[in-house]
Amino acid sequence: MSMLGTIVDIVRDNWLLLLVGQYPNGPLGGIAATLILSVLGIACAFPLGVLMALASLSPWRALRLPVFALIYLARGIPLLLIILWVYFLLPLLIGHNVPGFVTMLVTLAIYEAAFISEIVRGGIQALPKGQMDAARALGHGHLGAMRWVILPQALFNSIPSILSQFVSTIKETTLGYIINVPELTFAAGQINNRLLTKPFEVYAILAIAYFIVCWTLTWLAGVLERRIAAGRTHQADAAAPPSFLTPRPGEA
Amino acid sequence: MSGFDLMAILAKPEFLRMLIHGVQTTILVFIGSWLLAMSLGALLLAVRMLPSRIAEAGVAAYISYHRNVPTLVQLMFWYFGIASLLPPEVQIWLADHNSEAVFAIIALGLCQAAYFSEDLRSGLRAVPKGQWEAARALGHSFFGAMRWVLMPQAVRNASPAIMNHTVSLFKNSSLAMAIGVAELTHVIKEIESRTFRAFEAYLLGTLIYLACTLLLMAFGAWLERRNRRLRPAA
Amino acid sequence: MRETQGEMIGFRGVNKFYGALPALVDVTESVGRGEVVVVCGPSGSGKSTLIRTVNRLEEIHSGAILFDGHDVHAKMSSAQLNHLRGRIGFVFQSFNLFPHLSALENVMLSPMRVSGMARAAARERALALLDRVGLSARRDAFPGQLSGGQQQRVAIARALAMEPPAMLFDEPTSALDPEMVTEVLTVMRGLANDGMTMMCVTHEMGFARDVADRVWFMDEGRIVETAPPEDFFGRPQHPRAQRFLSELRTR
Repeated sequence: MSMLGTIVDIVRDNWLLLLVGQYPNGPLGGIAATLILSVLGIACAFPLGVLMALASLSPWRALRLPVFALIYLARGIPLLLIILWVYFLLPLLIGHNVPGFVTMLVTLAIYEAAFISEIVRGGIQALPKGQMDAARALGHGHLGAMRWVILPQALFNSIPSILSQFVSTIKETTLGYIINVPELTFAAGQINNRLLTKPFEVYAILAIAYFIVCWTLTWLAGVLERRIAAGRTHQADAAAPPSFLTPRPGEA
Repeated sequence: MSGFDLMAILAKPEFLRMLIHGVQTTILVFIGSWLLAMSLGALLLAVRMLPSRIAEAGVAAYISYHRNVPTLVQLMFWYFGIASLLPPEVQIWLADHNSEAVFAIIALGLCQAAYFSEDLRSGLRAVPKGQWEAARALGHSFFGAMRWVLMPQAVRNASPAIMNHTVSLFKNSSLAMAIGVAELTHVIKEIESRTFRAFEAYLLGTLIYLACTLLLMAFGAWLERRNRRLRPAA
Repeated sequence: MRETQGEMIGFRGVNKFYGALPALVDVTESVGRGEVVVVCGPSGSGKSTLIRTVNRLEEIHSGAILFDGHDVHAKMSSAQLNHLRGRIGFVFQSFNLFPHLSALENVMLSPMRVSGMARAAARERALALLDRVGLSARRDAFPGQLSGGQQQRVAIARALAMEPPAMLFDEPTSALDPEMVTEVLTVMRGLANDGMTMMCVTHEMGFARDVADRVWFMDEGRIVETAPPEDFFGRPQHPRAQRFLSELRTR
């Protein structure tokens, strides 16, 4: 089919643009920018999310309520609106103009942190209660117990969900298009504006590109989830009472 | 810039009208795509139950595509890509008749159908096998058993997940602004660019969206409470 | 001893395998109209499998099963099989009431949707049946609000609503707490006294002794002994039956 031929031609002529944007003649873009944005976004969101999870489980209302408010906000309004907010507030807070990439990064860091905090909170609450009791009985303080006993296990068990959230992040980077962040969707838009007569092929390439990236990562998350579930049943078998005295595979 | 002044926006009838239209458009896109998504999702589930490997693979491929390709890209693929394949007369007719909203509803609806179909499938899997046997033992046909016994339970099982995805769909209506639909987020941005009062404009938008999602989630919680008394005692 | 005229359920050389494992071996027996048969035996003997072949919840590999003269496992349209199933009353060990419907609605559903009965008539029949099993007061309750014994009684009413000529019971009291067993057995006794043809898989030997016309003892997929209860419990012939009964006594 000639459409397939056109697609191959477009990819052949524009693969560099799709891959890295206009670099080095401009900011980094394309798939590279998408992936870097996603990785950095999750990397920043992760510690923030863990802190928020701990705060949401704390006995002090002053810690719990702001976190719940933030989570409710992040989940209650469209991501697009959050981007608009950050785009407006960030330059005010910092004092000078901020490139779109940074705006998107900050937005993603906050947005993903809200979801990661719920994932981690779920992971912590899914652990048997005896873990915390055992850690406190050994003399660990609350934070120490979290650091050495609870979090290592909860985070390990949450890896598939967090990977899934990473895939969501990649999909969410596309919204940067609205504020002209040079990522993959923006690159495709540029190609389309140049070619003008082949929108179907251009956007088909865009869809296929995202499909390949996200599907591979989702598959990877599935493989990891099965590995972890298999490991978990072994942990459950070894759950004889004194086992907390010996370090187990998932612990620090 | 002058201080916080919400009335600069709310007091002007023109902006109020824009806001109301924006909310109306958002709700229109939301309801249109939800209905499409629910009916298509149920259809996908039905097709999946056919004893055909092609049917199963087809539905699985559909779901995989719509879950791995970003929603914005799907919207653009429909509006820019597929629209260009239509004969020119149709394209012109569509352009005159609010085609953006139609494409938005189609794209969002098709995307959500994948999620709803999976939710219903999980809900169906959670129904104990004994229910199926009891229905057949009483003489119900396959469709009778589905209609009166299994699907009512499947839908109740799936309602938390469906509620979550419904709220997502509502928020995703904002993506339609990328193809020119004058929904709420688009209107907010318009107002901001005209009044330069970003804070007030975004605050209004935030409040309206929060109110709507709160309503949806409250409805979901009410549904959950109603369903809970039907679950078997522990 | 009840008068039995003609055969209600007939097994003719029934064989069933799970892969290479025999589940039912050359089963040939008969349940007469109005007869009450109790099927017992050690676990894994095939009793549940046997009773589930009667309404074709399980398939068979050779032989025939006749219900009221109809060959249950013959090739037939799904509409014919559904109609036949509606005429075979089946009560499950795990009750399997429909949790989204009230007790009354559970009993009303199938006469309306399978037999095409009008709502008012179905409701009347359902109310009468719930009264018969002693649960009129709980007719608007949902299964989640009923005890196990109450749920099983509703399940019996639900099966009776289709006006079956025979009722099959697959370990109806095994999932119940001991104090609720009696209420279900009482309903079953009532049915037997009213002349219902019944085939029960059960461990309740008291029930078998009092109500059954015959006891079938199964072992490894075969019916190895059949006898009236006083003969079976008093003078078991087959060595496996003897061992089974002695193990029961020492419990």
